[in-house]
Amino acid sequence: MSASSVHSLWTTAAPVADKFPTPHIEYAQLSPVLIVLGAAALGVLVEAFLPRRSRYTAQVALAALGLAAAFAAIVALADKGYGTTKAHIAAMGAVAVDGPALFLQGTILLVGFVAIFTFAERRLDPRAHGNQVDSFAAQGSAVPGSDQEKAAVRAGFTSTEVFPLLMFAVGGMLIFPAANDLLTLFVALEVFSLPLYILCALARRNRLMSQEAAVKYFLLGAFSSAFLLFGIALLYGYAGTVSYSGISSVIDGTAPMNPALADTTGNDALLLIGLAMVAMGLLFKVGAVPFHMWTPDVYQGAPTPVTGFMASATKVAAFGALLRLLYVVLPGMRWDWRPVMWGVAILTMLAGAVIAVTQTDVKRLLAYSSIAHAGFILAGVIATTPDGISSVLFYLAAYSFVTLGAFAVVTLVRDAGGEATHLSRWAGLGRRSPLVAAVFAVFLLAFAGIPLTSGFAGKFAVFTAAAQGGAMPLVIVGVISSAIAAFFYIRVIVLMFFSEPKPDGPTVAVPSLMTSTAIAVGVAVTLVLGLAPQYFLDLADKAGIFVR
Amino acid sequence: MNPANYLYLSALLFTIGAAGVLIRRNAIVVFMCVELMLNACNLAFVTFSRLHGNLDGQVIAFFTMVVAAAEVVVGLAIIVSIFRSRHSASVDDANLMKL
Amino acid sequence: MSFPLLTVTAAVPAVGAVVTAAVPAAQRTTAKYTALLFSLATLVFAAVALVRFDPDGDRYQLTESHAWIKDFGLRYDLGVDGIAVVMVALTALLIPFVMLAGWHDADPLEDANPNRRWRPTQGFFALILLVEAMVVLSFEATDVFLFYIFFEAMLIPMYFLIGGFGDRAHAGGEEEAARQRSYAAVKFLLYNLAGGLIMLAAVIGLYVVTAHQLGTGTFSLQEILSARASGKLDIETSTERWLFLGFFFAFAVKAPLWPLHTWLPNAMGESTAPVAVLITAVVDKVGTFAMLRFCLQLFPEASKWAAPVILVLALISIIYGALLAVGQRDIKRLIAYASVSHFGFIILGIFAMTSQGQSGATLYMVNHGISTAALMLVAGFLITRRGSRLIADFGGVQKVAPILAGTFLIGGLATLSLPGLAPFVSEFLVLVGTFSRYPVLGIIATLGIVLAALYVLVLYQRTMTGPVKAGIEGMTDLKARELLVVTPLIALLLFLGVYPKPVTDIVNPSVHHTLSDVHKTDPKPALEAKK
Repeated sequence: MSASSVHSLWTTAAPVADKFPTPHIEYAQLSPVLIVLGAAALGVLVEAFLPRRSRYTAQVALAALGLAAAFAAIVALADKGYGTTKAHIAAMGAVAVDGPALFLQGTILLVGFVAIFTFAERRLDPRAHGNQVDSFAAQGSAVPGSDQEKAAVRAGFTSTEVFPLLMFAVGGMLIFPAANDLLTLFVALEVFSLPLYILCALARRNRLMSQEAAVKYFLLGAFSSAFLLFGIALLYGYAGTVSYSGISSVIDGTAPMNPALADTTGNDALLLIGLAMVAMGLLFKVGAVPFHMWTPDVYQGAPTPVTGFMASATKVAAFGALLRLLYVVLPGMRWDWRPVMWGVAILTMLAGAVIAVTQTDVKRLLAYSSIAHAGFILAGVIATTPDGISSVLFYLAAYSFVTLGAFAVVTLVRDAGGEATHLSRWAGLGRRSPLVAAVFAVFLLAFAGIPLTSGFAGKFAVFTAAAQGGAMPLVIVGVISSAIAAFFYIRVIVLMFFSEPKPDGPTVAVPSLMTSTAIAVGVAVTLVLGLAPQYFLDLADKAGIFVR
Repeated sequence: MNPANYLYLSALLFTIGAAGVLIRRNAIVVFMCVELMLNACNLAFVTFSRLHGNLDGQVIAFFTMVVAAAEVVVGLAIIVSIFRSRHSASVDDANLMKL
Repeated sequence: MSFPLLTVTAAVPAVGAVVTAAVPAAQRTTAKYTALLFSLATLVFAAVALVRFDPDGDRYQLTESHAWIKDFGLRYDLGVDGIAVVMVALTALLIPFVMLAGWHDADPLEDANPNRRWRPTQGFFALILLVEAMVVLSFEATDVFLFYIFFEAMLIPMYFLIGGFGDRAHAGGEEEAARQRSYAAVKFLLYNLAGGLIMLAAVIGLYVVTAHQLGTGTFSLQEILSARASGKLDIETSTERWLFLGFFFAFAVKAPLWPLHTWLPNAMGESTAPVAVLITAVVDKVGTFAMLRFCLQLFPEASKWAAPVILVLALISIIYGALLAVGQRDIKRLIAYASVSHFGFIILGIFAMTSQGQSGATLYMVNHGISTAALMLVAGFLITRRGSRLIADFGGVQKVAPILAGTFLIGGLATLSLPGLAPFVSEFLVLVGTFSRYPVLGIIATLGIVLAALYVLVLYQRTMTGPVKAGIEGMTDLKARELLVVTPLIALLLFLGVYPKPVTDIVNPSVHHTLSDVHKTDPKPALEAKK
C-alpha cells in the first residue's frame, strides 16, 4: 500500500485552490518609470560603495543618464502610438499609458534633467577650505554651527545623496499622473513627497530656515495625505474597488450592483465626502487656495534649486493626477464638482495675485505667483472639454520651464550670507549686470503673460478653453487677477532697472556651464513656446485623450 | 455587531487625529496624530473590505502601513534634526519665515 | 509670391533694434547713426508702400497671409487700407526726427562711473526702433489677434523708454526725478496693461463666438466681415455689446479718453521730449486707429449703440483737457493736456459716424502727430537749455533765441488750429461732420478751439515775450541738428494746411468703406441730415 493511499484513509484531499494568477506586467511600457527608479536605486549603491571624491561625478552622470534614457523611452513609446491609438492600461489596471501620461512624464523628465544642472552647480558658493561646494549642506545630520558641521565642511563633504533623492522624487512624479487606481495614486504621492521633504531640509546656507521649511512641509504634507487616504477609503467603501474605471462605472450606474450592499455601494454621502477629501489632497500638492499655506514658507526655506524643481515638477505631476481623477473617474459628477472648483479657482487666482503684491522676498513672491498660476491652470481644468486637457498640458509645460529658469536666476544673486533674496537687495541689478536682469525680466514678463512669451500662449490656451467650456466669468476673473499680478512682476522690473544700485549691494555670481545651461534652456523654451508654439500645441492636442 | 460601527470608530479616530494636528504644539505629537489618522484609514479600509467581501481593502491596509513606516523614518529624521539645532520641537517656535 | 513690402517695413526697424543693441558700449555715435540709418530705410519702404497703394483699388492692399498658430486661430495677416498706409507713413516719418531730437538724451552723464556693460545709448535707440516695428505691425495687422499681440507687446519697450530715460530737468533733483519717472512708467504700464487684458477677454470671447458659429475660431478681419455680410455669423446683440466694450476700453485707455487719460500727463511730463512725442504722436494713434478699424468694423451695431455716450466722453475730454492745459505750470504737462483735448476731437470725429467726421479724424491723427511733434520737440530744446520745465522760469526767449521762439510759435499755432496750418483742415472737418449729425455737440466742441487759443497764446506770451529772465540770457539759438528736425515738420504743416488733398485722396475711399460697414441698414444719414 502506497503512502498516499494510506494517507487517504483518514484524510480527504481538499480541492486545490486556484493559483494566484501571475500578474502580467508590461515592462516595456513601464520602462520610463523603471529606468528612473532603477537609476535611483543604483545611486544609493553608489553612495554606499564609491569613495567620497568620485561620488559627485558618478551621481551626476548616473542621474543625467537615467533621465535621458527614460526620456528616450517615453519618445519611443509615443512613437509607437501608445499616446494615441495604442493607449491602454498597464500593470493589471494600476498604471495608464496614454497621451496625457506620456506628455506629462516627458515634461517631468525634462524638468528633472534641467534641475540636475542646477543641483550640480558648484561655482556659486565660495570655496570652503579649498573644496568646491554646492547649494546643499555638507552633512544633513550635523547640527548647524556645531563642531561636527565645521569638521564636515573642512573635510569637504557634500550631500551627493541629493541626486538619488531627486531621482526617487522624479520616479514618483512619473507614476502620479499615470496612476489608474487610487492605491497607486497614494503610493506615488508618498514616493515623490518623502524625498522632497528631505531635500527641503538640506540647504547649505540658512540651515535653520531650511529645516523649518522641511518640518512645515512634512507635517502639512502628511496631514494632507492622511486626508487623501481617508478619501480613498470612503471611495473604496462607495464603489468596492479603487480602480478608476470601476468607480466611474458605479457612479454612472452601469456596474452590476450587489443588492445586499445597497447601503454602502452607491451611497452618495460616501462618494461626495470621499471625493472632497481626495481632491483636497491633490489641491494641497497643487498649492490651490485654501490649501496653499505651506507654499511660501517652503519655497523660501528650501534650497533654491530644490524650490525650482519642486515648483515646476510637483505642479505638473499633481495637475496630471487631478485631471485624470476629474476627467476619468468623475465625468458623471461634473455638475457636483464644477461649482466647487469654480470657487477654488477664483479664490486661488485672486488670493495668489493680491497677497503677492505685499511680498518683499523674491522666493516668496514667486511662491505666491505660483499660487496664482495654479488658479489659471484650474480654469483650464474646469473646462471639461478636450481643449481643456490639451491647454492644461501646454500650460504646464510652458510654466514649468519659466519657473525653473526664474529660480535658477535667483541662485545667482548673492552676498556674504548666501543668496540675497530680499527684494530691496535687487535694486539696480539691471545697472550692474544687465544680462542677468534682462533674463529675469523675460521670465517675469512670461509669468505676467505678455504676448510673445510662453506665458501668454499658455494663458490664452487655458482661457480660451475655459470660455468655450462656458466659464466666461472665470476668464474675466483670470484677466483681472492677471492685471493685479502684472503689478508686482513690473515692480520687480522697476526695482532692477530704474533704481540706483546700492553700494553694498549683492554681487552676481558667475555660474558654471551648468546653471548657464539651465537658464538658457528656460529662456529658449519661453521664447519658442511664445513665438512658435504650434508644434507643441499639436502635441498637446494629440495627447489630450485619457484612456479609461 | 454591525460593521458600520467600525466605520464610526474610524471616523472618530480620524477626527481626533485631525483635531490633534490642528491644536497640538509639539511636532512629535502632531506627527503622532497624523499616524493616528492613517490608522483610522486602515480601520476604514479593513471594514469596507469586510463589507464588500473583497480583499482589496486589506491589501491597501498593508500598503498604508509600509507608507506610514517610511513616513516615520523621514519625519522623525527631520523633526530630530530641527530639535537638535533649536532644542525645541514646538511648531510655534518655527517662525523664522513669518511675513 | 510678391515682395512682402509690409513685412519688410516692420522688419527693418526690428532688425535695426537688434543691430543697434549689439553695437559695442564705447561706440555710442556708431549706434546712433546705425539706428538713424535703419529708421530712414523704414521711411523709404513706407514711402514705397504709400506710392504703391491705389486709393481706388481693393479695400486692403499689399496683403500677406500666413498661418502662425493654428490652434489659436492666429494668422499672420497683413494688409493696409488708406488709413493704415497713411498711419504707417506718419510713424516712419516721425521716428527719424524723434531720434535726431533725442540725439544726446541718452548720453551717459559725464560724472557717472561708466560700467563697461551698461549701454544706455544703444538701449535708447534700439527701444525706439522696437517700438516703431511694433507700431507699424499693429497698423498693418488685419488679424485681430495679431494686432492684439503687438498692441500689448509695444508696452514693454515703451515702458523702458519712459522709466529708463527720463527728463533731467526736474525741480526736485535727480532722486526725485527718478522716483517720479518710475511712477510714471508704472502708471503707464498698469493702465495700458489693464486695458489690454480686458481686451484679451473680449478677444477670447470673439474666438468663442466665431468658433461656435463658423466651426473654427478665427480672428481674420476679412473672414469675419464676409461671414457677417453673408449672414453666416450673427453675433447676438448683448454679446456684441460686451465684446465692443472690451475692445473699446483698451483703445480708450491708449487713446486716451477721459476719464482714462490720467497716465498721459505723467508719462509725457516725466519722459524726455522725443519719448513724449513717441507716446502721443505714434503710440497713442494706435488706439484711435483701432477704434476705426476694429470697433466700427467688427461691432457696427454696438458702435452705434455706444456712440452717444462715447461722444459725450469725447466732448468732456476736449473741454477738460483744454481747461487743465490752461492751468498748467509745466510746459510738457500743458502739451500733454492739450493732447488729451485733441484726442477728444479725433474720437468725436470717429463716432459722429459721418464721412467728413471720419476723414477729418484720420487727417487729424496725421496732423496732430506732426504738430505735436513740432511743438514738443521745440519745447524739449527749450527745456534742455534752461534745465527746467516750469513756465515761470522762462521769459523773453524771443530776444535771445528768435528762431527757437519762431518755431515754437508755429508749432503752437498749429496746435490751436490756425487756418493755413494743417490741423485747421482736420479740425474743421471733424466739427462739420459732428455738427451735421449732432449740432449741439458740434457747438460745444468749438469751445475747445477757443480754449486752445488761450493756452497756446498764454504759454507763448509767458515764455517768449517780456523781459529776459535770469537764466535765459545766454540761451543759444537752434543748432543745425535741431533745425534739421524742426524745419521739415513745419514745412509739412504748411503744405498740408494749404493742400491736404494727397492725404484725403488716399484716406477717403477707406473711410467710406468703414462707414458703409456701420450703416448697412441706414445709408448716408449724413446727407439726409444736411438736406
